Amino acid sequence: MSDKVKIIIDDIEYEVPAGSNLVDMAKWYADNDIPVFCYHPKMEPVGMCRMCLVEQGSIVKDRETGEVVLDENGNPQVRWFPKLQTACTQIVHDGMVIRTNTEAVKAARENVVEFLLTSHPLDCPICDKGGECPLQNLTMAHGPGTSRMNYDDKMHLDKHVPLGDLIFLDEERCIQCARCIRFQDEIVGDDVLAFHERGRKLQIITNSDPGFDTYFSGNTTDICPVGALTTADFRFGARPWELTEVPSICPHDAAGSNISLSVRLDRDFGGRAMIKRVMPRQNEYVNEIWISDKTRFGHHFTRSEDRLKKPMIKKGGVLTEATWDEAIRFVVDALKAADGSVAAIAGSSTPNEDLWTLRKLVEGLGGGLLGAWTPTHAGADLVAQVGVGKGTNLGDLGQGDAVLIIATDLEEEVPIWRLRLKQAADRGAYLVVANARKTRMDDFASDTVRYDYGQAAHAMQNLDAAIAKKLKEANNLIIVAGAEGLTLDGSRALMQAAANFLIESGHIGKPNNGLLSPFPGANGMGLHYMGFSPEATLQIMQNPPKLLIVNQAELLADDPFAAEWLNKVETIISLNLFPDAVSNMAAAALPIQSFAERDGTFTNGERRVQRFYMAQGPMGEALPAWQVFSQLSEALGQGHAKLSAAAVMKEITENVEAFAGMRYKELARVERQFPDVGGEDLYYGGTAYQNKGGLGVQIETSADKGEAVSVGEVKLPDSPKPKKGQVLVVPVAQLFNRQSTFKPSVLVHPRVPQPYVEINSKDAARMNIKTGDLVEVMMADQIRVTVQAHVNGGAPEGAAVLPRYLTDEATPMVLTVGEIKKV
Amino acid sequence: MANTLAEKYAERIQHHLSKYPDKRSAVMPLLYIAQEEYGWLSPQGIEEVAELCDMDPTQVKSIAGFYTMYREQPKGKFWLHVCTDLPCALKGAETFYADLLAHLGIEDGGTTEDGTFTVEHVMCLAACDRAPMLQCNFHFHEHLDMDKMRELLDQWRKEAEAYANKDV
Ligand code: SF4
Ligand code: FES
Ligand code: FES
Repeated sequence: MSDKVKIIIDDIEYEVPAGSNLVDMAKWYADNDIPVFCYHPKMEPVGMCRMCLVEQGSIVKDRETGEVVLDENGNPQVRWFPKLQTACTQIVHDGMVIRTNTEAVKAARENVVEFLLTSHPLDCPICDKGGECPLQNLTMAHGPGTSRMNYDDKMHLDKHVPLGDLIFLDEERCIQCARCIRFQDEIVGDDVLAFHERGRKLQIITNSDPGFDTYFSGNTTDICPVGALTTADFRFGARPWELTEVPSICPHDAAGSNISLSVRLDRDFGGRAMIKRVMPRQNEYVNEIWISDKTRFGHHFTRSEDRLKKPMIKKGGVLTEATWDEAIRFVVDALKAADGSVAAIAGSSTPNEDLWTLRKLVEGLGGGLLGAWTPTHAGADLVAQVGVGKGTNLGDLGQGDAVLIIATDLEEEVPIWRLRLKQAADRGAYLVVANARKTRMDDFASDTVRYDYGQAAHAMQNLDAAIAKKLKEANNLIIVAGAEGLTLDGSRALMQAAANFLIESGHIGKPNNGLLSPFPGANGMGLHYMGFSPEATLQIMQNPPKLLIVNQAELLADDPFAAEWLNKVETIISLNLFPDAVSNMAAAALPIQSFAERDGTFTNGERRVQRFYMAQGPMGEALPAWQVFSQLSEALGQGHAKLSAAAVMKEITENVEAFAGMRYKELARVERQFPDVGGEDLYYGGTAYQNKGGLGVQIETSADKGEAVSVGEVKLPDSPKPKKGQVLVVPVAQLFNRQSTFKPSVLVHPRVPQPYVEINSKDAARMNIKTGDLVEVMMADQIRVTVQAHVNGGAPEGAAVLPRYLTDEATPMVLTVGEIKKV
Repeated sequence: MANTLAEKYAERIQHHLSKYPDKRSAVMPLLYIAQEEYGWLSPQGIEEVAELCDMDPTQVKSIAGFYTMYREQPKGKFWLHVCTDLPCALKGAETFYADLLAHLGIEDGGTTEDGTFTVEHVMCLAACDRAPMLQCNFHFHEHLDMDKMRELLDQWRKEAEAYANKDV
């Protein structure tokens, strides 16, 4: 964007970047909102709706001399196009002149709106979009005011067509702009929407199975310029003008998507503030203006009636309700009695403030080990050293750049990264996908690499020479290394090998270069910076302490082997959103608040520290975990309890080097972002909201700071080897699952697969198993799960791919061996 | 899922696919094959064509919906398109069409009870000089009147019966 050209908009000259779109430039530089319906700044223009008509011409230059030709008044002569042009399909060029305020343009706009309304039902009073509808707004601004149409002559079509389980289509509201179709095609690559029929009867259809089969369907409801597409979640739920927008962060994955929680005081929630819907909030560095359907439809757990609402302490062997005072006294006594043999395990969606106060509490007791849960992904320390450089924007990757994705199924683990990296490939980035099985990302890859499960680090070190060369020579290189099909040691080896590759090829310490990992949960990197590690978790497992504090980590639901060592812990103090198997065996089970009810921060996979704000009314007596830890510390005589999350963060900034400069005020900073969506002109970018809560601050890596990095020696671990009759059991991620923080989102249930295991066709033939058969997967003799067999080409020979969180029983977290039997 | 079309029409399908650098370019001729096999573009047919052309079924369905010569509903074995456009109308096509419908006892666009005939009126088929005319399963029949029409209908009915008996 270095070259500039001069264009004239309504008689004023602007200097704008060459090669850019006229509508975008008019808005950005001249504050001139050219009305659009089909154009969207994130997609290629199609010129379908004609709403953006302008008068356009060019300054006349003498062919020979190249001099600008002047008219009799000494002004440059303009050669006008005989007809109005669609601004959305114009690329700016030197000498371009447009007029947007003439009678001809006004008439054109009025006519286009009138034409669109001839087939529109005008049912704004019952439309979800009413109040924030581009068609409504543009009709008010440019429309004719009255209609010449006889209402009875209107084309009437179906109003409640389910496009799959999550999105409804109102056929007669559709103005046929194809934004939804183009979004699915261009941006997502799930080509599951299309037009059917033609003319007035034209409608959107989906023929996929299940309908509208994609993880990004909700975004179409944001960019649809009318109320034709609405979500099953929000349909008829509230009017937009009753809602207050509260900035927040998606609590489900490492992307840290910026969201806006639309809340209102609601009768359905006892008059308390209640989340009515989740909307995207623009952060071009993180999620642009998109969110996955898990982010959008995964908020119901915050209001689940199953939430733990009162503190419980064990009295005479039974968990009994108590007041907070009683509970705090009880826990303090237990902590004292443990004699310093105290450890803690925190789940990967625990906010930074909670982690810090928990660490202070444990350290204050002379305890030590701080475990990260789940202990599946190693190498957060390496990401802190050679992670993607500060200022990284996956949206910048393109021609000349490269991305290697290894040992992860990004579609299921971090869908927003998958979306953005798919687009990087579209822009010309060299995308290599390496895994032991085919994953969705293969569809977008320039090259794919296969290796045997367990051998990811080895594969990383021994990449095909031609592929390695292209990666090394790329201008920018990002490696996304996951932990699929690995043990924790295997994961560490892979992260080391990936870090070495980046260091050797010089792809560290600058934006758009470095290492990423799809850590589970929303705060995988926060765990690292606050001193929690998966290695410590393993030590805790081997050497259980007298007292263990478990915060938002469902050890027994996640790990079939946890009971063995957990039984050896004398006292468990559990803090969780829900009562679970751990809280049932705990001495005290304390209710804590979810991300929706409190302030806090998460550190996303790109190490961006981002704030979320209190949005929803409280659930029972639940408190934010930081407050509980802080009060316990005070009761133990370790100084005054903190009174706010902001105060906790201030303390963090003073004690954790990486967090210096992360005061809440800094995290709340915003800047104008391109494209400029979310203003009054909803028609431009859709209903993604403007970012008013902060863009967050990215932590610098060691490499960014020019410090020495140390990766350590790569030890290729022995990977589990199946004996005769056994297979490798490979846990994999499934985005829509039955985890406690997603299960309450009932509307997504039809999309959650029945528990299954994917088996290779050769193994299946040997065991006489067919797709649909019930099989039992047996591990370590005593652990069994019964699931359906799938023989769909999704598993390499000798491996049973077992998605996590689909069954009621815990399934393995990391690579292991097992047997499969038909039942 | 077995792909009936791929098995039954391998050669013809290959012929069409080989004409283009992109598989999806062959979608229209393959849709005709599916229509021939199933009598209409059944969900099964759409799926199979999608698989053959490496497209999402949604896109295939969209193409089927755009062009009027694809049948998206099961219809009569014989699909009659009677032209009632201006030149044909001048030669009495409208009356002819009305008589035909009355004879079969159906409405415009309807299908006879036995499922043999579906009758629709269409725009100019470029045979104006031989009006009134119609096309039956895409074959032209020209210079029509009701006498001729009755003969044709009898003949088609017989064909339909013969076909049905052969099936048993
Ligand atoms: S449903 Fe909405 S986004 Fe899709 S074509 Fe219709 S108006 Fe456009
Ligand atoms: S034609 Fe330009 S916005 Fe639709
Ligand atoms: S008008 Fe009937 S064929 Fe041309």
